Amino acid sequence: MIRTPLRPLAHVLPARARQEDPDSVMRHNLRQRHDQMEIAARQMAESRLLVLIVFIVAAFAAVAVRMANLAHSDGQEPTQQIAAAAIAQSRADITDRHGRILATNFETHSLYAQPPDMVDPAAAARGLVQVFPDLDEARLLRDFTGKRKFIWIKRRISPEQMQAVHDIGDPGLRFGPREMRLYPNGSVASHVLGGASFGKEGVNAAEVLGVAGVEKHFDAFLRDPAQNGRPLQLSLDLTVQAATEEVLAGGMAVMNAEGASAVVMDIHTGEVVAIASLPDFDPNDRPRPALGDDPSISPLFNRAVQGVYELGSVFKIFTAAQAMDLGLAAPETEIDTTGPLRWGRFKINDFRHYGNRMSVTKIIEKSSNIGTARLAQQIGAVRQKNFLESLGLFDPTPLELTEAGGSDPLIQKNWSELTTMTVSYGHGISVSPMHLAAGYAAIANGGRMIRPTLLKQSGPQEGVRVLSERAAAEARMMLRRVVSEGTASMVNVKGYSVAGKTGTADKPRARGGYYEDKVLSSFAGLFPAHDPAYAIVVTLDEPEIMGLGELRRTAGWTAVPVTGELIRRIAPLLGVRPLIEPDERIAITQASN
Amino acid sequence: MSFLEYNVKSTPTGFRKLLFLNWPLTLLLAAAAGVGFMMLYSVAGGSMSPWAEQQMERFALGMAVMLVVALIPIWFWRNLSGVAYLFGLALLVAVEFFGTVGMGAQRWIDLGFMQLQPSELMKIAVVMMLAAYYDWLPAKRISHPFFVLLPVLIVLLPTALIIKQPDLGTSLLLVVGSGGVMFLAGVHWGYFAAVIAAGVALILAVFQSRGTDWQLLNDYQYRRIDIFLDPSQEPLGAGYHITQSKIALGSGGWSGRGFMQGTQTRLNFLPEKHTDFIFTTLAEEFGFVGGVSLLIIYGLIVLFCIVTAVSTRDRFAQLVSFGVAITFFLFFAVNMSMVMGLAPVVGVPLPLVSYGGSAMLVLLAAFGLVQSANIHRPR
Repeated sequence: MIRTPLRPLAHVLPARARQEDPDSVMRHNLRQRHDQMEIAARQMAESRLLVLIVFIVAAFAAVAVRMANLAHSDGQEPTQQIAAAAIAQSRADITDRHGRILATNFETHSLYAQPPDMVDPAAAARGLVQVFPDLDEARLLRDFTGKRKFIWIKRRISPEQMQAVHDIGDPGLRFGPREMRLYPNGSVASHVLGGASFGKEGVNAAEVLGVAGVEKHFDAFLRDPAQNGRPLQLSLDLTVQAATEEVLAGGMAVMNAEGASAVVMDIHTGEVVAIASLPDFDPNDRPRPALGDDPSISPLFNRAVQGVYELGSVFKIFTAAQAMDLGLAAPETEIDTTGPLRWGRFKINDFRHYGNRMSVTKIIEKSSNIGTARLAQQIGAVRQKNFLESLGLFDPTPLELTEAGGSDPLIQKNWSELTTMTVSYGHGISVSPMHLAAGYAAIANGGRMIRPTLLKQSGPQEGVRVLSERAAAEARMMLRRVVSEGTASMVNVKGYSVAGKTGTADKPRARGGYYEDKVLSSFAGLFPAHDPAYAIVVTLDEPEIMGLGELRRTAGWTAVPVTGELIRRIAPLLGVRPLIEPDERIAITQASN
Repeated sequence: MSFLEYNVKSTPTGFRKLLFLNWPLTLLLAAAAGVGFMMLYSVAGGSMSPWAEQQMERFALGMAVMLVVALIPIWFWRNLSGVAYLFGLALLVAVEFFGTVGMGAQRWIDLGFMQLQPSELMKIAVVMMLAAYYDWLPAKRISHPFFVLLPVLIVLLPTALIIKQPDLGTSLLLVVGSGGVMFLAGVHWGYFAAVIAAGVALILAVFQSRGTDWQLLNDYQYRRIDIFLDPSQEPLGAGYHITQSKIALGSGGWSGRGFMQGTQTRLNFLPEKHTDFIFTTLAEEFGFVGGVSLLIIYGLIVLFCIVTAVSTRDRFAQLVSFGVAITFFLFFAVNMSMVMGLAPVVGVPLPLVSYGGSAMLVLLAAFGLVQSANIHRPR
């Protein structure tokens, strides 16, 4: 440090002696200063290096500790099992209300090829084509000899096919276990079950995912390992469901109908005991939705839930019940039914004319549009709207099906007085048969709106009251009269006093207006009338039958006899005891009390 | 004029240079690459093709490049830094227009005999450029705001281009590595504190902005962060890599399942098993012992680079050596953390071991610079 100030002088003196520019001396000094600064900078760099090294060592330690941690704790076996377990936690079964299997799983195998392991690709391809004639030998051979290392050949094969492939004896042909969804009852309850297909596929397992119906709605539940394989118990009764579908299919054939649907629902618990839609399909081999076609004629279409129709006269009982509930009318109140009822350009007619004055009971019994419309006028738009909404007719049905989300009823935005009148007899509002069944259940159980469900319930539901006990009872009596005296006489099953209402609605044309010769015929009711237990709705799409020398389409000739046959078949299965009625009148008095 | 050029006479010349090569470093590099060959051989199911053989050829080529770089005096490389930087930048721009799209990202330029990844080249070009910059900059100006802004621009320009490819991993490494070089160059503490604070704020902003119209990252990047935070939420999807590699590490245990006995990788459970996730093969077949051994090799490589850096008095040589050490360290630290689920899955290869051409070549060329610094220091 002492030498530093001396050095310039030592340079300066000889420089002066040589008569050099002192500036060079200055530059020399400057360079020295820079050198010193560099040294200082390097010293700082070294201290900073220390910081960096500490950081690096810490990172090393973190990585090493993590590695030790992983090596120590996760003493797992190779993941073949783990990956498989992650995919194939087996899907829970689905059973009916008595525990009978509706959907279960079935062990099959998939077939794949690993060309690098193949001994004789040509022979393997030839052998495979013999086992599976639908395969293309040339294409297989091209795949086997190409660059691919892995090829799926068949998703599911039977044990016989597996043995046959085994006998080809090529080590490059491999099998992977596949759990397959099996619906042992075939097409029974197909629309409820929906179907399942493979999701993510691995060599050793494949995910089974629900694609429709309860399989999709309860997909998470069915796959939830925490449920420990507990089956999903539905409210359906397998025997009733099968009988319903059989009778409905027969009825559809006899009545030359395009389609049909039926709902049988417990009016106390809300459980849907049977729900059918025809045509149907086999969920074991679920068809692909046909593109371009009208989806509502596809077998996949659930008419009972997705199909929203103008159901017609079956709605009249709601109007009558509300009128009685509000005290606007009693069953015997006389209503002016002079026809036609004109409203602006619009004209309301009756199918047949029964006189200029009719009691409310008679209006329902004979299904008078004019009388119902007059009742609706007294009720008014707002009250009618509120009442129908309380019956759940404005929202998608809460049934636990994926398809239920698409059952949004069609309601007119502008609820005019004319709308009030047409809706009173079931036109200008489109709902599904399921909606209707829920509404009838409310009348049947004494005026409480209950939520329809596909899951088995442990007890009756405590629904919201939408009708007074008295109004509901009077409405039931009217429905009973429809069967015993009126349009639905063919449903009068001996012993099971049925009550209900017919509906024959002209089908709307796609471009507006209505067809003259195409109807949707329906019957909605409840049984047994003396102690209601079940609500039932049957619809037939475009039925036609020759009766008494005439082409008949009205519900009384089509939906009603089918319902009669249906009740005759399912009532014993449901454990409804027939009432021994010596005389019809006694039953009526009991029901009306 | 750097310190070295005054003292040229005291550096070795001619073939004597080979004696002054940093031989321990060379051997360590060969050892790491050897581990790579073994793993690539094993991953291919006990076969030299398709990976091990090509990797060996590239390593041989890379070693030759390293020697050439090492024998050329370090000050030549300093004078070339600017050119190298501009060249790399030009390539990055070129890749935008002529690049090949691979794995959803545009990263390669096809040169015919090999696929060039300009972002790899850029990592080392930026380090050289920064070192040359701080060599040129008088010490008292280092922390002057303007002279801090300049290198920041030098770094951010290529970073922006790399992010656009999109390659988040490489751009992050570039920024962090350059930050390390600037830190060692002696930029004031305050700047780093500010940047880290801003970084934390940015991370918060990134998460706050999620789901809004102006979200800052791609959905796949958010997804990776999510899966990183909880890989179990999607064991078969985005979390698959991490889950499987963790299982592989667990399956290896302390001493491993033995060479060529790894089930996890051999049974094709792991995608990218020969590139970014090759460490899992090592960990499964040689266990904790194997993994730590590779870690030690890497640690020693970093150590020798630092030793070279400290023993030279030339500022450029020093900073380049540090830069190479930091870049190399970041590579394997991030890769290993990623494989072990300590960091999100960003596409960062395991240096010298993962299969990949440009990364290997560029890395060995970078070590050539360190070797050159070692040879051409006055004794």
